[in-house]
Amino acid sequence: MPGMWWVVGATVVVALVAVYLIWTAGRVERLQDRAQLAARALDAHLLRRAAAAAVLAERRDGVELYAAARIALDAQPDEREAAENDLTRQLRSIQLDPTDADCEAVIAASRRLALARQVHTDLVRDARSARGRPLVRLLRMGRRHTWPRYFDIDDPTLAIPAADVSSR
Amino acid sequence: MRIGIVCPYSFDVPGGVQNHVMDLAEALIGLGHEVSVLAPADEDSPLPPYVVSAGRSVPLPYNGSVARIAFGPVSTARVRRWITRGDFDVLHVHEPLALSLSMVAVLSARGPVVATFHTAMTRSRVLAAAQGVLQIVLERITARIAVSALARKVQVEHLDGGAVEIPNGVAVAKFAGVEPLPGWPGECEPGAGGTLGFLGRFTEPRKGFPILRDAFVELARQRPGLRLLVAGPGDPDDLFDRFPPDLRDQVTFLGMVSEEDKARMLRSVHLYVAPNTGGESFGMILTEALAAGTTVVASDLDAFRRVLDGGRAGRLFPTGDAVVLRTTLSELLDDAAQRAELTACGDQVVANFDWPVVARRVLEVYAAAIEATDGRVIDQEWVGLT
Repeated sequence: MPGMWWVVGATVVVALVAVYLIWTAGRVERLQDRAQLAARALDAHLLRRAAAAAVLAERRDGVELYAAARIALDAQPDEREAAENDLTRQLRSIQLDPTDADCEAVIAASRRLALARQVHTDLVRDARSARGRPLVRLLRMGRRHTWPRYFDIDDPTLAIPAADVSSR
Repeated sequence: MRIGIVCPYSFDVPGGVQNHVMDLAEALIGLGHEVSVLAPADEDSPLPPYVVSAGRSVPLPYNGSVARIAFGPVSTARVRRWITRGDFDVLHVHEPLALSLSMVAVLSARGPVVATFHTAMTRSRVLAAAQGVLQIVLERITARIAVSALARKVQVEHLDGGAVEIPNGVAVAKFAGVEPLPGWPGECEPGAGGTLGFLGRFTEPRKGFPILRDAFVELARQRPGLRLLVAGPGDPDDLFDRFPPDLRDQVTFLGMVSEEDKARMLRSVHLYVAPNTGGESFGMILTEALAAGTTVVASDLDAFRRVLDGGRAGRLFPTGDAVVLRTTLSELLDDAAQRAELTACGDQVVANFDWPVVARRVLEVYAAAIEATDGRVIDQEWVGLT
């Protein structure tokens, strides 16, 4: 009976397509969740760096640094990237002594922030590329989430003299 | 922290990745973390206590050389079991894009995954063709580490992602404390004596041995008592045929050396020469020579310049130029004070490559990966960064 084989063939194809769609939907969901969690970690590290900078500014009477740290802490989402870049510039313009505890806190926070930024950028890129696939767009998968957004700031790593790294 | 590390290549044969994994594991254990390493190995081969065998490996040609790897249903089952039993805070895989245990581990893992890329794969067509498949592997990775600027460049250009550059470490203590070989390095005074060292495959053009040979032959005519110590794989007759008969007794060939003898060999020379003409992505041997406290003369390659801090920690010469190399060698052999200055700076530089320092940077990447997986921020104390 040739008709029977048509039915079997069609069922197999439908099943395969369904499996692929479910897998893709899960993948899109997973990647978006990941990007969101990375954004939370990035946010925490931004706050941590600004707090460390504020502590240092208070002790040194660094008015400009303190202002930059406050602005970074209070910034609205759309102004935040610029505010964080300002803070990075302020931190680069001052002398940091790695043997001093408050300075070391700022240097370490900047280093950790650089890692969080790197990871966040990678995960957002993965999520966006998954979201951007034609099939995913067509079926509007992952629409429960907003489009993952890059957080575009300069590399916050602070350069310290090579000889000092070894004594860290 | 509980750390699971996957090494794709068998510990039965020595290799750069295997050494890296072992040194990293030992450094992390030294910092007080629990480490388990999964690697292919024969059942009866002796392994360090922290290594778990994933079964026998099979030789497979990969990226221009033969790698002994394990892959297949049995290995997959073992990887899964190891991950379940290990209950790791973070999984660290090496070379995840090779068809290997590492790839299996990445695909089986659910938590934070850190991946280290060692090779600077230049055959990008392969990468481009397999992009769709590789993407599935890559998007399971939380944070990526590249061991050299070149490996990082491959990440950025071909794999469309960033990576944190953390150099290969060197176990400074293993190199600094050893005794030189008996009778070496001998006398070295202005105008006479002195010992030069070369380690590597002298038949391979990229290692640049002919450049060193030319410089040595010229210099030996002007400088009585100059000696050359060569170590590495190769046929002794083939090596001695490259030198004029009257100079052959000033050349000593050690053949293949163990890790321990490598350290002794590096301490047995006044100047270590790296005349490579290319293909070096990191320059591991230079950090080892610096750790041994030996003055380094190296060709002006990007990788070497970075390791030698732009020439402060060792002398650079124009790549491939035997004449400049000869004058540089002659000048440094005459001037003990300048050698001392270079090695003093080398000590500072190599401190940044010491494994405990490098392992702390790796721990920060682990922390970043864990944070990005569950959104919480980890205290420095817990990561062991104090």
